[in-house]
Amino acid sequence: MVLIQQIINGMALGGIYSLIAIGWTVVFGIVGLINWTHGEVFMIGAFVGFFLVSVYKVNLIAALIIAMLVSGFVALMIDRLAYRPLRTSPKLASFITALGASTFLRYLAALVWEPHARAYPPTFDFKVMQIPFGESTLTINSLQLFIFAVTLVIMALLQWFITRTMMGKAMLAASQDFEMVGLMGVEVERLVMLTFGVSGMLGGAAGVLVGVLYAIDPMMGSMAGLKGWAVAVLGGVGSISGAMVAGLLLGVAENVSSAYVSSGYRDAIAFVAMILTLVIKPTGLMGFKFEEKV
Amino acid sequence: MSWKQWLSGWRGAVLFSAVVLGVSFIDSVVERPEYLFPPYFKHILLICLIYSIAALSLNFVAGYIGQTSLGHAAFFGLGAYTSALLTQELHWSFWPAFLAAGIVAALVGVPLGAPALRVRGPFLVVVTYGCGEVFKYVALNLDITGGPAGLPGLISPSLGVSFNDIGATGKESFIVLALALALFLAFFSQRIANSRVGQAFAAIREDEIAASAMGINVSYYKLLAFVLSAFFAGLAGSLLAHYLSFVSPDMLSSAESIMMFTMVIVGGARSIYGCFLGAFLLTILPEILRMLKDMIGLPFDPWLVLFGLVLILMMRVRPQGILGADTVFRR
Repeated sequence: MVLIQQIINGMALGGIYSLIAIGWTVVFGIVGLINWTHGEVFMIGAFVGFFLVSVYKVNLIAALIIAMLVSGFVALMIDRLAYRPLRTSPKLASFITALGASTFLRYLAALVWEPHARAYPPTFDFKVMQIPFGESTLTINSLQLFIFAVTLVIMALLQWFITRTMMGKAMLAASQDFEMVGLMGVEVERLVMLTFGVSGMLGGAAGVLVGVLYAIDPMMGSMAGLKGWAVAVLGGVGSISGAMVAGLLLGVAENVSSAYVSSGYRDAIAFVAMILTLVIKPTGLMGFKFEEKV
Repeated sequence: MSWKQWLSGWRGAVLFSAVVLGVSFIDSVVERPEYLFPPYFKHILLICLIYSIAALSLNFVAGYIGQTSLGHAAFFGLGAYTSALLTQELHWSFWPAFLAAGIVAALVGVPLGAPALRVRGPFLVVVTYGCGEVFKYVALNLDITGGPAGLPGLISPSLGVSFNDIGATGKESFIVLALALALFLAFFSQRIANSRVGQAFAAIREDEIAASAMGINVSYYKLLAFVLSAFFAGLAGSLLAHYLSFVSPDMLSSAESIMMFTMVIVGGARSIYGCFLGAFLLTILPEILRMLKDMIGLPFDPWLVLFGLVLILMMRVRPQGILGADTVFRR
C-alpha cells in the first residue's frame, strides 16, 4: 500500500527528472558536450516563472510558456558566448568553460536574487483526492496530476517535433553523425542553436514545475542538473525515450527508498544508479554505443 | 640559460623552501613586539601547501594519464575521516593514523578507479563526480562519522611535544611537514614522469588505443595512477584534518573536487610548478577578494562569480594552463 502511494508520489517528480534529462541528452547527443550549465538554465527558468506568477500575476500556464522561452534563449546565449568560440578546440576546454559558466551563473543568481528559498504563491486550487484501495486509501494530489500531465504534453510535443518536422529530423540525424549532416548541406551552427534552445526550454519547464511542487533557490541547479545527467545516463545517453523511462524510474525509486530505507540517502540513489549503469551497461536502458574509432 | 630554466629543478625547490621556512620561523628567531607574519598569514600558507599536495596528487590522474576526475575530494576527505576515526575511536597516535589514511585512500582508489577502465571522457567525469557525492552522503548519514556536524576535537600530531606548542604560532611544524610532503611529492612526480611508468602514462594519455596496441597494460597503469593519486590525497586530507582538529562532510564536497581540478588546470596540467601555482592562486585569491570586500564594503563576496569568469577566459586565452606545456592540447 505504502509502495503504491510512493510510486504515485514519485511519478510527478520523475516526469520532471525526465524533462531535465532530455535537455542534457539532446545537447550531448549533438554537440558531444556535457552541458554543465543545464542546471543553471533550469534554475533561471524556475525564477522567471516565480517572478511572473508572484509579481506580475501571470496565469501559471502562460508563465510556464514564457519561462520556457526565456530559458531557451538563455541556453542559446550561453552556447553563443561560451561554447561557440571553442567548438574546434578540445572537449576538455569546453567542459571547463561549462564548469566556469555554471559557477558564474549560479553565484550571480545568488547575488541578484539572494540565496534563500522561495515558494511559488498558490496559483489555483489543488484538490486532494482520496481513492479507496483495498483496506486503505490512496491520496492523489491534483497538483501531481497536473505536473504529470504537463510533462506528458511537453514530451509529446517534443516527440512530434523530432520525428515529424524537418528541423527535428535534422537534429536526430546530427545526433548520429554530426559531420555527415553538415556535409549533407544542413547548416550545423543553426542546428546547434536550435538544440540549445530546445534543451533550455525543457530545462525551464522543469524549473517551473519544480517550483510549483517544492521551493526554489539559486543553488537548486547543481543537484537537479546532476540528477538530470544521471537519468540521461541511466536511460542511455542520446536516447529521448530512454530518458523518459529512466526519469520516472528514478523519481519512483527515490520516493520508495526514502520510505523504506532512509531519506538521508535519497539524493545518493541517482548517483549510485548512474555509476552502476556506466560500469555494468554503459549504453544504459535504451542507448546506443558511442564507439571510439581508431 | 634563461631564468625560467635556471629556476626549474632543484634550485627552484631550494628557493621555495627557503622562503617558506623563512616566513614561518622568522618570528621565532627575531624578537619583536608584533609578529612580522601574523598567524592568519601562516594559516593561509599552510592551506596553500596542503592544497598543493592535493593538486600534485590529482596531477597523476588529471595530468599524466589525462583522465578528468571530479571526485578527488573523496580521497582527500576519506583520508581525513580515516585518521580522525583511528585517532578518536582506536586511540592511535597521529603518525600511524596519517599513514593509514593514505593507505585506506589508496585501497579505495582501486574500486573508484575501476570505472575509468570502462568509461572515458565525459562519462568518467560524471562517474567520479557521482562517487564523490555518494561518499558525501555516506559521511552525512553514518553515526560514526558524526553526520553533518563532522568530528571535532582531533588530536594534534606530536614529536614528544605537540605540534601546537612548537614555534611562535603553533603552525610552523605543520608548515614544515606539509612542505616536506609537497617537495617529496614534487620530486616523486618528476621521477615518475621521466620513468618507464611515466612514458606509459603519456602513451595512454595521447592515444589509448595506440597504447594498448603497443602492448601497454592500460588497465594496470590507469589503476596505478588512481592509487598513487588517492594515496597522497589521503595524506593531505589527514594533515588538514589534524591541523584544523576538525573534519566535516564539506571536505568531501564536489565543490572541493572541482576546486582541486581547476587548480591543476589553471596552473597547468603535468607541470609541477603549475600545480603549486594553481593551488596558491586559488587559495590566496578568495582571501584577497574577501579582504577587499571588507575594505571597500562590498555587500557580497565576488570570488565565485569571478572564478567562473576566470575559468571561461582561461580556456579562451590559454587552455593549457598558466605554466602548462605549449604542446598540442588534445581532446
